[in-house]
Amino acid sequence: MVETGHFALVLAFALSVVQTLVPLFGARMNNQKMMAVGGPVAVTGFALTALSFAALAMAYATSDFSVANVWDNSHSLQPLIYKITGTWGNHEGSMLLWVLILTFFGGLVAAFGSNLPATLRANVLAVQGAIGATFFLFILATSNPFARLNPAPIEGRDLNPILQDLGLAIHPPLLYLGYVGFSICFSFSVAALIEGRIDASWARWVRPWTLVAWMFLTGGIAMGSYWAYYELGWGGFWFWDPVENASFMPWLAGTALLHSAIVMEKRSALKIWTLLLAILTFSLSLLGTFLVRSGVLTSVHAFATDPTRGVFILCILTLFIGGSLALFAFRASSLTAGGLFHPISREGALVLNNLFLTTATATVLIGTLYPLAVEAVSADKISVGAPFFNLTFGPLMVPLLVAVPFGPLLAWKRGDIFAVAQRLMAAFAAALLAVLVTALFIDGASVFAALGVGLAFWLICGALTDIAVKSGFGSVAPGIIFRRFAGLPRSVFGTALAHLGLGLTTLGIVGTLCFGTEKILSMHAGETVQLSGHTLRFEGLYPAQGPNYSEDRGRFALLGADGSTTAVITSSKRSYPVRQMTTTESGIKTIGFSQLYLSLGDEGTDGSVVVRLWWKPLVTLIWGGSLVMMAGAAVSLMDRRLRVGAPSRRRKSAGAVPSASLP
Amino acid sequence: MLFWVIAAILTLGASLAVLLPLAGGPKRGSASSDHDLEVYRDQLSELDRDVARGLIQPAEAEEARAEIARRILRLDNADPAAKTAARQPSMATRLVATAAVLAVPLVSWGLYSQLGSPDLPSQPLSERLAKNPAESSVDELVARAEAHLAANPTDGRGWDVLAPVYLRMQRFSDAVTAYRNAIRLDGDSAARQAGLGEAIASAAGGIVSADAQAAFEAALKLDPANPKANFYLAMGMAQEGRTEEATAGWQKMLAALPQDSPWRSAVEQALAESAKQSVASGVPAKGPDAGDVDAASSMSPQDREAMIDTMVAGLDEKLRQNPRDTEGWMQLIRSYVVLGKTDQARDALNRGIAVFGSDSDEAKKFTAFAVSLGLTATE
Repeated sequence: MVETGHFALVLAFALSVVQTLVPLFGARMNNQKMMAVGGPVAVTGFALTALSFAALAMAYATSDFSVANVWDNSHSLQPLIYKITGTWGNHEGSMLLWVLILTFFGGLVAAFGSNLPATLRANVLAVQGAIGATFFLFILATSNPFARLNPAPIEGRDLNPILQDLGLAIHPPLLYLGYVGFSICFSFSVAALIEGRIDASWARWVRPWTLVAWMFLTGGIAMGSYWAYYELGWGGFWFWDPVENASFMPWLAGTALLHSAIVMEKRSALKIWTLLLAILTFSLSLLGTFLVRSGVLTSVHAFATDPTRGVFILCILTLFIGGSLALFAFRASSLTAGGLFHPISREGALVLNNLFLTTATATVLIGTLYPLAVEAVSADKISVGAPFFNLTFGPLMVPLLVAVPFGPLLAWKRGDIFAVAQRLMAAFAAALLAVLVTALFIDGASVFAALGVGLAFWLICGALTDIAVKSGFGSVAPGIIFRRFAGLPRSVFGTALAHLGLGLTTLGIVGTLCFGTEKILSMHAGETVQLSGHTLRFEGLYPAQGPNYSEDRGRFALLGADGSTTAVITSSKRSYPVRQMTTTESGIKTIGFSQLYLSLGDEGTDGSVVVRLWWKPLVTLIWGGSLVMMAGAAVSLMDRRLRVGAPSRRRKSAGAVPSASLP
Repeated sequence: MLFWVIAAILTLGASLAVLLPLAGGPKRGSASSDHDLEVYRDQLSELDRDVARGLIQPAEAEEARAEIARRILRLDNADPAAKTAARQPSMATRLVATAAVLAVPLVSWGLYSQLGSPDLPSQPLSERLAKNPAESSVDELVARAEAHLAANPTDGRGWDVLAPVYLRMQRFSDAVTAYRNAIRLDGDSAARQAGLGEAIASAAGGIVSADAQAAFEAALKLDPANPKANFYLAMGMAQEGRTEEATAGWQKMLAALPQDSPWRSAVEQALAESAKQSVASGVPAKGPDAGDVDAASSMSPQDREAMIDTMVAGLDEKLRQNPRDTEGWMQLIRSYVVLGKTDQARDALNRGIAVFGSDSDEAKKFTAFAVSLGLTATE
């Protein structure tokens, strides 16, 4: 089974080479047969990669220590779920997951791309094949997960205990679906550049892929953030860690792409810019892969460090980013420009969005790479931390967030900002009320906190206003409002939901950062502590035994007003003997949207233990908002518009456009 | 055999995926202008909906309609050569097709023959543990015993059998646990207590700590003549610098031990070394087990030295293959110091530190340990 997986991987590499070259020749020579090769080969390549991945997962599930990768990252005593997730909890396996998703998307284009023009489809699949081929080669040459050990050791070296968590089952697959999803946008862009033309329907084909990739990337980042929050025991949800930035940059660029693709689709404008953004977004995904995998950055994510891998990835990076940008430079001038628009218009708003988002991306990029550059030149180690990002990224985001509710309400081509402002009066009033309530009743000390809450409410109410205005609220009869509401395109709901989610996330961040409280103290069993109106009693430490670890569980009772126990929170310190590592499992109690978070520190000599407590108001909204954003993308994906673009035979024979539509 | 059949089938399938589209009948793809027309048509109908919803003024809608119509007209002018049907395949096309079909089996079989291990079967752990014990290696037997004890943790006899095996495999902390479990479940015995003491001492790199001492003393209470306990207790005294008491202890042992006891030579050696005053800094890793002692006692001094050298070299080699072994490194460093090979001891120390990183806890432990042996990391 193991060797079958290995062989399937090699075969998939061979197919990806064919997938690159044959359709590309076919498109150049206008040979339909050669172009048609791309489809079946892409689907078969996906099937083989899936077989290969299944073989590796099987080896993990059955603890086959004759596979070096399994021996290095698994242990027979691990619960089955962590044995399986361990498949991608290491460098080799995660690269295999990467290509699995890449070929999966390639297979989807092949399977559902029958409505694409033949040459475009062939070129897209060829570019996709080229990305696949280089990564297959990378895996086979430097990170082969199927290397064997003979004789096989009897016991493995265990998975990194921090990764022995359900988060590993969700975070990497989601993140990779996002990263790699943008490869399709990249392939479409490069294909358009190879052909030297962009069809009017190009943006419609690319948009669903952008939406899918953006949706998964949003989920992946949110999940990663929540995982770090509860697993690392520091109570923080975002650390501006270079690896986090590596996933955040494609998200920012992808968000810009999502918006500029709308302009391109509706108005045929911003074509060249959209193409460039698609290339940049995937380039940033590749850069993220490089930063994490090359060992340039040391962090939890750098499963293994090996210079040859770094050099190899650097070559891939140069090839794809350099190559695509060079192609862009050659071909961009041959693409036709689209429609004109007034600065105050939907297009104008989306351009503003793009300006802010790309500047923010650049800021994060500088903050991430600058320390590396300094280290390379002067051997000094510096770190660019939260203060830098708070000073640069924060001020960039605030005007953007203020502008968000205006965007969807502005008309295309030429908008009326005063009319829009009038429609947003209610949202503005709600935001103002939120500011006043916060300043007067909750915390008068911080003006920023109150304004932050106001900004969040502005976004939330602005999103609701968008739906209300488009349903005709206040201008037509109630019965018609409902009919209009039901008849609104799905993409309108998608937009509103995504913007609503953004508001919720903002509210969560502001609430946690501005109104959170924390305490660090040393507690004996039986002692109680007060934090933001909650009373906790420490009941003591109890030893317990897990399948492959032993732990000291600290039990805490949350006391009600009458002194009775309303909930029990446990936080534990686990010790994994195989890797000789300890981890802290935080104890979390969710109350409404807020959370009580506690983690155990060191034990004192007198039987006391250090306890860190946090009260995190509205913290779950940070991730809840991300889920709402994902839902927005999902709803938008169901828009009927995205299914158009395929010429149906019947309509084509009907000939010209209905004359009624012509002026 | 089965593997080759599967590989052949997979190769065939992959080749067909390339071959079939190339061999199929003529195809006609849709021209891109058809797609564009569809998009423009949809844009027009959306414009109508926006007007109905009052999102756009009628005058602006007219303007937008005119713009879309202009694009449609441009579409009709451009792209007149709406892609003629595929020409007859030329020589070049045939060549590309042949190369592509051949490339699949050639590249895959060629690469796999370099990278793969086709003769190595899968070895799921449960299968390995289920096979005939006579064919199993010691590792597999131990793993099987561990699986048994994980299911029946109260089987005292199982722990009792496994404990000395752990000790011999140098899995000292596992040996400590096993001895403790055996004592807890099957009761005290001199052999178990002495074994526990030895395991604790070996886990600490040969240092007879207070815990180990307590275990040895418990053993002596049950069997005052237990040689292992007596030997290590004297060693503990020597380590504390109480050389005279240690010597006295060993001499008393020597007088009481029967002529054929395997411990005689170990005691004699310890006495000789304590006479050289070197015991205080470097002590043998553990009491030699019976087999080693038997072999060593019948050897000439040169042979014995050669055997010790081989053992140390074996440990050194083991650490090169499996370097994350804290106890192993400490044992190696001490062995070199005892053998008087200071340079190699220093080299081992630096390598050990390099494995764990110079600011790790292990590195600090190593350095402190080396200093206690009178060794520094650099010259």
